[in-house]
Amino acid sequence: MVKKYTGLARLERNWGILFALPAILGLCVFTVGPVVGSFLISLTDWDIGSTAKFIGFGNYKTILTEDPLFTKSLSVTVYYAMGSVPLGLMLAFLVAMLLNQKVRGLSVFRTIFYMPTIVPALANNFLWMWMFNPDFGLLNTFLKMAGLPTSQWVYSESTAIPSLIMMSAWGMGNTMIIFLAGLQGVPTHLYEAVAIDGGNAWHKFWHITVPSMTPIIFFNLIMALIRTFQVFNEAYVMTQGGPNNATLFYVFYLYRTAFTETHIGYAAALAWILFVIIMVLTYVIFKTSDKWVHYEGRSN
Amino acid sequence: MRFRLGLALPMILALAVFAAACTGGSGGGSSESGGGSSSPAAGKEEVVKLKFLYWGSNEEKKAVESMIKSFNESHSNIQVVGEHVPGDYNTKINTLMASNELPDVAYLPDALASQWGIEGRLLDFTPYMDENQDLKNRVPLSFYYSEPGKPAGFSTAAEVMVLYYNKDLFDEAGLPYPPAEADKAWTWEEFVEVARKLTKDSSGRTALDDGFDPNNIVQFGFSFDSDRASWGPFLASNGGDITDETGTQYALNSPEAVEVFQALQDLVFKYHVSPSLVQQQNLPNNNIRLQTRKVAMVIDGTWSLLDMSQTDMNFGIGVLPKFKEPKTMYIAGASVIFSTTKYPKEAIEFYKYHNNPQQVDLYKIGLWMPVELKYYEDPQLIESWTNGGVHPPEFKTAAMDYLLNNAVISPSASLKNWPDIKTKMQPALDKIFTNAQPVQEVLDELAADLQPLLQGKYPSE
Repeated sequence: MVKKYTGLARLERNWGILFALPAILGLCVFTVGPVVGSFLISLTDWDIGSTAKFIGFGNYKTILTEDPLFTKSLSVTVYYAMGSVPLGLMLAFLVAMLLNQKVRGLSVFRTIFYMPTIVPALANNFLWMWMFNPDFGLLNTFLKMAGLPTSQWVYSESTAIPSLIMMSAWGMGNTMIIFLAGLQGVPTHLYEAVAIDGGNAWHKFWHITVPSMTPIIFFNLIMALIRTFQVFNEAYVMTQGGPNNATLFYVFYLYRTAFTETHIGYAAALAWILFVIIMVLTYVIFKTSDKWVHYEGRSN
Repeated sequence: MRFRLGLALPMILALAVFAAACTGGSGGGSSESGGGSSSPAAGKEEVVKLKFLYWGSNEEKKAVESMIKSFNESHSNIQVVGEHVPGDYNTKINTLMASNELPDVAYLPDALASQWGIEGRLLDFTPYMDENQDLKNRVPLSFYYSEPGKPAGFSTAAEVMVLYYNKDLFDEAGLPYPPAEADKAWTWEEFVEVARKLTKDSSGRTALDDGFDPNNIVQFGFSFDSDRASWGPFLASNGGDITDETGTQYALNSPEAVEVFQALQDLVFKYHVSPSLVQQQNLPNNNIRLQTRKVAMVIDGTWSLLDMSQTDMNFGIGVLPKFKEPKTMYIAGASVIFSTTKYPKEAIEFYKYHNNPQQVDLYKIGLWMPVELKYYEDPQLIESWTNGGVHPPEFKTAAMDYLLNNAVISPSASLKNWPDIKTKMQPALDKIFTNAQPVQEVLDELAADLQPLLQGKYPSE
């Protein structure tokens, strides 16, 4: 059915569009434009400073068939995401549950757990560089005091990514806040119903809290996935992709290709491939969400 | 809902004003940075506007700003606007190039200067050489060529790698200072011997003593990093190179190259006289390393004389140890004029001024060495930039003569496709300097990665 706008409704619509225009124009000029532009650039063989040559999907072909660093950077990023996303979500959920208890000094605890998120990313990275230092760092000092073997942390090929995953868990404050807000929205009458039926804390958690929270988990999962696939700072600031490319994150590789090696066409193609990867992943998660995400007031 | 026109109108007006201000601002900005030109005003004397982009520490920024000021005051027809880039200069200049918003005159990392030179993006100096003798008589390694015989730019300043050391540590150990003349350079064995004597553990034993504890070193004999600036001079000294002479054939697995990288690795893992790359994460900058006695000798560029002189340490400059021939590496950023400039004549006028030792005090304070040969030949002119109380007496032989007689050009300036080569080399160097794999093996395997990237060398004369 097509709704016809008449009189006041049309006036409102027109004014509405007018008011939204700055945002719409901004989106077109600063987002859609560059997106289209980057796709066109990705079809060229263009080094900054030389003339661009149109080569169709040549860059894509090279990337997918004969670029070992593409495979390397993608696997490094997937490795990081596989560790960082579940760990971050679980930890954030756990902390949110704890912070949802009625205990004394609650606001202090909430502040403490949120604090790392306020620390600027770069300061955070430098702080962890000190903690990771194999000779004088805090982490190895603790390990030594406990009589445990020490680690080379980000300085060794095998432990670099696990170290960064550990570090990423520290910055789960935003995810935690969203979980916390969600937890406070879980209807108390459901808990009461479980209590009346003789259920214990586990039953409350498993049958009420988790199902009610699935939309929030779903949201946080998607956001975390997108975020981790675009991880950049850690490589740029802390490791420069090393040692031996162990932390060559995809976006860092892309950035390096564009601005150090000046292959802007190739880098644009890399960006588009990442876009497609993230889109496919998001799509898959959306598709499976019917099976596990429970919305209040909607029957399956 | 009632529609309030009375509220809407002022809002739209405000928005329009805001939008106009925005576009006005950005429009003005881009036109200024675009050609760096002012629209020709009819009738009046035309003032040419030039834009100059540069990097550098606060010291350098201050010096450059005052240079620009005095230039503008003495040239009524030219107005130079300087822009200092504090962060990632490569990204900045690449973005400007990609969006065609280039300045007129700029600093440029050596690899980009070489690359953009042959791409025709830089002003060809050839037509201006004859009328400007001060462009002609320069240190040969400071030239960038677009084609043989066609200069497209020069180093901003001349710089080579040298050995800095803390004299007090040598005095206390009763050791003679490192030689300051290339002919008398230490052999590698002599150097390692001295470095071992200057390495101490927490109980005061040196690396040559029995019972030396390599896990508790408080003073290292020497420190170096994995950059070309560290291994490049030694590689050249042993007759090795990344490629053959044409720059098309991988050669870093030659016996000479393997020997050098093995020797450097041994400094860390066999003789324990140098901190590993990881340990260096915890060490301060080179000048403070020496001052605080964490390290006795460092390899660093002549530009670091400024930092060294700012500590109150008793330091000296020596030439690097040699393998076969005494060699050092010439490593310097470039200054260029972009071919997009509308005012090449005025740009050259400013170009000659911007690193003229009479106008910039960065020479006197130890950051720069001049590119014009007369500043190395005429005693009075030598005096004019080395009498600031910063340059030690041995500077003449350990830096100036060393630069003129023993320097090879850095691969970052001479080898095509260097940024790619560098990023592919780094993982291999990581392996060597963390002792993860035998040197020969690493450098053999590197051939497969590097060979496809080799595209020859840039013209060198």
